[in-house]
Amino acid sequence: MHAKFTPEERVFQQEVREFMTNEFTDELAARIRHPDSFREAMIEWQKKLDAKGWAANGWPVEHGGCGWSATKRSIYSNEMALAGAPDVVPMGIKMVGPVLYSFGNEEQKARFLPATKASDIWWCQGYSEPGAGSDLAALQTRAVRDGDDYIINGTKIWTTYAQYADWMFCLVRTNTEGKPQAGISFLLIDMTSPGITVSPIISIDDEHHLNEVSFSDVRVPVANRIGEENEGWTYAKALLTYERTALSGVGYCKRTLQRIRDYAANERQGGGRLIDDPDFQARLADVEMEVTSLEYLELRVLNAVDKGGAPGMESSLLKLKGSDCQQAVQTLYWNLAAAYGGVLPGDDHQNVSGHAYGDQARREYMFGRATTIYGGSNEVQRNIIAKFGLGL
Amino acid sequence: MDFSLSEEQQLLKDSLEKFVASEYSPTQREKLLHAPAAFSADHWQTFAELGWLSIPFSEEQGGIGGGIVESAIVMEAFGRGLVLEPFVDTVLLCGQVLARSGNASMAEQYLEPLIAGELQGALAWQERQSRSSLEHCETEAKRQDGGWLLNGEKVLVSNAAANLLIVSAKQGDQVGLFAVPADNPGVTLQTLKLMDGRDAMNVTLTDCQLTAEHCLQEAGLQLLQQVVDEATVALCAEAVGAMDYLYQATVEYSKTRKQFGQPIGKFQALQHRMVDMFMLTEQCRSLLVCALCSVSDNSETVTEDISALKAMVGRYGRQVAEEAVQLHGGMGVTHEMNIGHYLKRLMMIDVTFGDADFHRRRYCNARYAA
Repeated sequence: MHAKFTPEERVFQQEVREFMTNEFTDELAARIRHPDSFREAMIEWQKKLDAKGWAANGWPVEHGGCGWSATKRSIYSNEMALAGAPDVVPMGIKMVGPVLYSFGNEEQKARFLPATKASDIWWCQGYSEPGAGSDLAALQTRAVRDGDDYIINGTKIWTTYAQYADWMFCLVRTNTEGKPQAGISFLLIDMTSPGITVSPIISIDDEHHLNEVSFSDVRVPVANRIGEENEGWTYAKALLTYERTALSGVGYCKRTLQRIRDYAANERQGGGRLIDDPDFQARLADVEMEVTSLEYLELRVLNAVDKGGAPGMESSLLKLKGSDCQQAVQTLYWNLAAAYGGVLPGDDHQNVSGHAYGDQARREYMFGRATTIYGGSNEVQRNIIAKFGLGL
Repeated sequence: MDFSLSEEQQLLKDSLEKFVASEYSPTQREKLLHAPAAFSADHWQTFAELGWLSIPFSEEQGGIGGGIVESAIVMEAFGRGLVLEPFVDTVLLCGQVLARSGNASMAEQYLEPLIAGELQGALAWQERQSRSSLEHCETEAKRQDGGWLLNGEKVLVSNAAANLLIVSAKQGDQVGLFAVPADNPGVTLQTLKLMDGRDAMNVTLTDCQLTAEHCLQEAGLQLLQQVVDEATVALCAEAVGAMDYLYQATVEYSKTRKQFGQPIGKFQALQHRMVDMFMLTEQCRSLLVCALCSVSDNSETVTEDISALKAMVGRYGRQVAEEAVQLHGGMGVTHEMNIGHYLKRLMMIDVTFGDADFHRRRYCNARYAA
């Protein structure tokens, strides 16, 4: 049992570090932070990763993945986090990608996989509805067969970045008989189709990430259905598994903790450094220990998969603990910013408040309240673990 | 990076689990609590015959050259069954100080009987004023007639069956380590019963005379800290084994205990609490893996990794045990049910070698110092 790197892994670490330093420039980081340039800058960044062959690193090698070991994947995400660089927007490469190569037909794979990998398609996720949140199978958006098309009517909600999306992967009801899970199909929908309306939902961080997407007699070719009709729940559940492991957020937690430590070393309190305050140290330590245990929980899961085993039931804990950790980090960040975190952005607010990070701390805390809700709320996660993990 | 066990390690784990399953039912354990020194001398001989006592010693010293991972495998299995035999005290504390001190004559004299199961050991480090600090030592060692004279008092020394004590004592401005036979006329022992069923003792040293060779190291603080750190990891492995048992036993109990016409495990309020017990256990196991790698790799962050583990095990070990008692209801507070015994052991592990607060402070000092 050891956590050491081989010489080859150290070379890889150096390669990733140099790439991140050279390619993730301050200028690009600034454009990604700004809502007006976010989409374009994010695609630019993802295309750089793709050019290096790393964008879809978790995919099978025959589809352009890297075939990395658990160690290499952990080196990659660590170096990315330390450089402050964002990972790819997950909906395409991390969520629908695996569904496409696992369940898509040859034509669908050829049409969508290369374009998804190259970030030429921006995907959004059509799962939740006003009446179907944690109880996802209660979804009502109807798809009625009409020749070679389905005609879609209904509403999806909480759709992250739908305003930027070219395509949506969407769960629709194709049968109202029997168990709710039995009548669901998985469709790929072109967001430029007539009848689609995207309406913004402003979240408590005052930003526009979320949307409501309504469908009024939208025609979708049957050829855009993944797998069999009424079997969509199977594919959707597989996707949720990919989504949950992608949601542990270890890299984000480590990067933000590093920022908190740096800021706390410069922050003054009663004339001394905040980082020297024993109470602050104790709070920081509590969160850092939680994040280290999350990191090793994830490494244990990855390592088990590397050794040819299936991830055990500890993998189901990753989303649950990961979201708890993200919120713990964000709460600490907010506490660090103290009253300056409450200053709303203005033209010169940074000079007024004296704290460049107060605004960021507030936004991340506010947006982070969603982490224990999306991808299946943590209460639902506990139900799932109780049933399938503990056999209750 | 590789967290898997080797074939030999897996075999060791299997044989330990087999021993615990066949020899450590709650009834069998209850009998041992009333044995002299509160453990089984027969089991100890079995350990010797199976080679378990030789695990962490080098081949030159008569061992099999195991490391921290093997020690953790032993202690995790022992934790599941609340095994009472003093493996940590004799093998990992006393034995490892002897093996690493560089004092060949003492190692030669004592390691062979220790590995053969004929010698019990203890580490006498704690004093009334030191609480959890290894370096704060008022027991004094003075040179006399080419040898040493020790005076002072050590408290809460684990393993009352010890024939050999490793004693830390101040000499000048350093902390020396001494091998003190328990039958030295300058040694007075007073046995104490502990809540986890074990026997400890207070040790008074009154003009305790030792020959020069009984000084293991004149400046031994670093060795002491290293051996205690590794034993701390092993204790945490024991705790993880106990936590693993507790959440599983609680889940099983909730499937059979019926109230309001159904198994209590069907109630969501209880299901979520059991999921949290499982999560806390896996978190502690994850930091155990981190600390095992850190010690094996001789990592720069070994101090903070061990203290993070001990701090988390201290808090979450007790939390999981308290939840187990609660979910077992009235049965959970009976002496008859073994759940409460796990709580007591996890409470004692928390306060051994520094509790959760002590180790969080040590983590902060290692990580955030200017």
